[in-house]
Amino acid sequence: MRAAAAAAPIIARRPLGRGGLALGIGAMLLVAALMAAVAAGSVGVGIGETAAILGRRLLGLPIPRTWPLSAETIIVELRLPRVLTAMLVGGGLAMAGTVFQALLRNPMADPYIIGTAAGASLGAITGLLAPILLPALAIGAGTVWLGLGAVQVLAFAGGLGTVLLVYSIARQGGQVPVVTLLLTGYAVSSILAAGVALLMFLSGRALGAIFGWLMGSLAGATWPGLAFSAPILAVSFGLLLLRWRRLNVLLLGDTAAAHLGIDVEREKLTLTVLATLGTSAAVAISGTIGFVGLVVPHVLRLAVGPDHRLLLPASVLYGAALLTLADLGARLAGGIPVGIVTALIGAPFFLWLLRRSRAVRPVITA
Amino acid sequence: MAPRLRSPLLPLVLLALVLGACASPSVSPSISAPASAAPSQPRHVVFPVTLTDDTGRVVTLTARPERIVSLAPSNTEIVCALGACDRLVGVTDFDDYPAEVAGIPKVVIGAQVDVEKVVAANPDLIIAAGNELTPSTVITRLANLGYPVLVLYPRDLAAVEGDITLVGNALDAAGLAATVVADMQVRIAAVQAALAGADRPRTFYEVGLFGGSIYTAGADSFLASLISLAGGDPITGDSLSTAIQLEALVAADPQLILLGDAAYDPSVTPASVGVRAGWGAMSAVSSDRILVMADDEVITRPGPRIVDGLEALARAIHPELFP
Repeated sequence: MRAAAAAAPIIARRPLGRGGLALGIGAMLLVAALMAAVAAGSVGVGIGETAAILGRRLLGLPIPRTWPLSAETIIVELRLPRVLTAMLVGGGLAMAGTVFQALLRNPMADPYIIGTAAGASLGAITGLLAPILLPALAIGAGTVWLGLGAVQVLAFAGGLGTVLLVYSIARQGGQVPVVTLLLTGYAVSSILAAGVALLMFLSGRALGAIFGWLMGSLAGATWPGLAFSAPILAVSFGLLLLRWRRLNVLLLGDTAAAHLGIDVEREKLTLTVLATLGTSAAVAISGTIGFVGLVVPHVLRLAVGPDHRLLLPASVLYGAALLTLADLGARLAGGIPVGIVTALIGAPFFLWLLRRSRAVRPVITA
Repeated sequence: MAPRLRSPLLPLVLLALVLGACASPSVSPSISAPASAAPSQPRHVVFPVTLTDDTGRVVTLTARPERIVSLAPSNTEIVCALGACDRLVGVTDFDDYPAEVAGIPKVVIGAQVDVEKVVAANPDLIIAAGNELTPSTVITRLANLGYPVLVLYPRDLAAVEGDITLVGNALDAAGLAATVVADMQVRIAAVQAALAGADRPRTFYEVGLFGGSIYTAGADSFLASLISLAGGDPITGDSLSTAIQLEALVAADPQLILLGDAAYDPSVTPASVGVRAGWGAMSAVSSDRILVMADDEVITRPGPRIVDGLEALARAIHPELFP
């Protein structure tokens, strides 16, 4: 009864109030980030021209072409898929981070914590090096499956497969204790990281490409990559948003959640699979971009509180806007990996926020 | 990580420097006679022309390229040697030879290809480099955007000649390409003639020391083949990582050590090699046969000046034959 009483405030559907404002600001920020990121880049294309190109190509408006064809290619084939990928990946990572932090009740949890990063990295690097190490296989960088390169397909499969493996190893008598899951994820990641290090040693000149992938980069974003990951992420977004109530209850602990009628083990598996699907789809088209999935959920908990009805959509909006702006910074800084920008600018901001909010306790244990 | 990252670029930088140092654009006197034997009439290429590049990609050029983007310094040197410097609309920020390339817009900055800048240059031919010097993802991307992309990836000196011929066909400069190749062949033949019957000292070419690993020519690498042609017996590392373990190097017992890294790192000197732990046992150290290769740039940049690199190596390995 006590647990139920304590739970009442966090499972009830209350007016959004201040949280609604945060969502509105997030949406406006995202639109502003989208416009700035499409309009700016290493080659100058005027804002008016950019709008005209988008209107002509995307909306089919009868605007006469007064710009060079190269400007159209830059906007439509290079920048737009890249900006949309940044939004999708940023939103996906922030949302997955929110879910894992609640699920594992661990403030250090990020989307990669139980093996996604190590598995996806090994997959991607195998894809990068296959043409060099095993030329007989004839899997060149130009090899395309469903419009995707071997790197994306293997990264997605590696991330998803690793988490499923970790989960099955950690399962004991039908239960998956959180601590066992974390430690199993750490151990399996270590094994895979050794494989990554070995491949890096053998990589020769491909090391630069591997390094860029590990740091996370949106330079390779394409429409086919987006078409692969967007539906998976959309399903992950949708199904996770519907489970906000269960996430709130899980914050109380497994026992309390079970008393409230949740099939805890089943729910944990469902949430893990959904969040990992989103993470793997994001990582497949961008590499392992750090920081966004760890810090965006914390910042938003400080701003809007722990209720996942608000926290989940807010993390999608702010994660998307943050990564879009960070990638714009990365492009304007001469094409450095975006992971450097997120960490270099985001981490000091997070430190400042932590210092400023006296109650430093990130509200994970409700 | 950072030191390993530098290793792929350093040979390139060095090659560029060496190439610059050995600049001899004019035909040397000894080869002028054979050069005149090359076709003097410019041979014209009929467009559209279909070419196969070094990675097996088939590229069709519908018309004579007038807007060329080069993604590697060696490619730039080939284009300029074929008299097409003024048709370059994009190069890399490593490009330093010939001097005319200084004013051409840079589309590769800090080894990163800026795809937006390449597109903005509106090229009708892009010449990329293999072996991930131009990342394969970038090559795929540019090809998917509809640009003709020729990838040059020469594995030995003969392949550099093949690349010059290939680019000559692409640029409608086949006659000039034949002349350049003939010049190179004459100079290569002269080196070979001088080396006939000479001994082949075991030669270790130091590309760099990073994080405790010793980097040298990889087995089957361009550098190893060049050392062989210059009259040395190359001591090679792993074909992929190009690293060699100190034990293996001591066992191979080099008779000659060439310091390619000394061209850009003044702390690397013959004296500093002598005091490295374990190196004293090598014949090259005890007989003081350690040389600084200031010409590293032309040795590692596979363009027309690669013959300068070959001659520099031959002089270093057999000073008695090349006074």
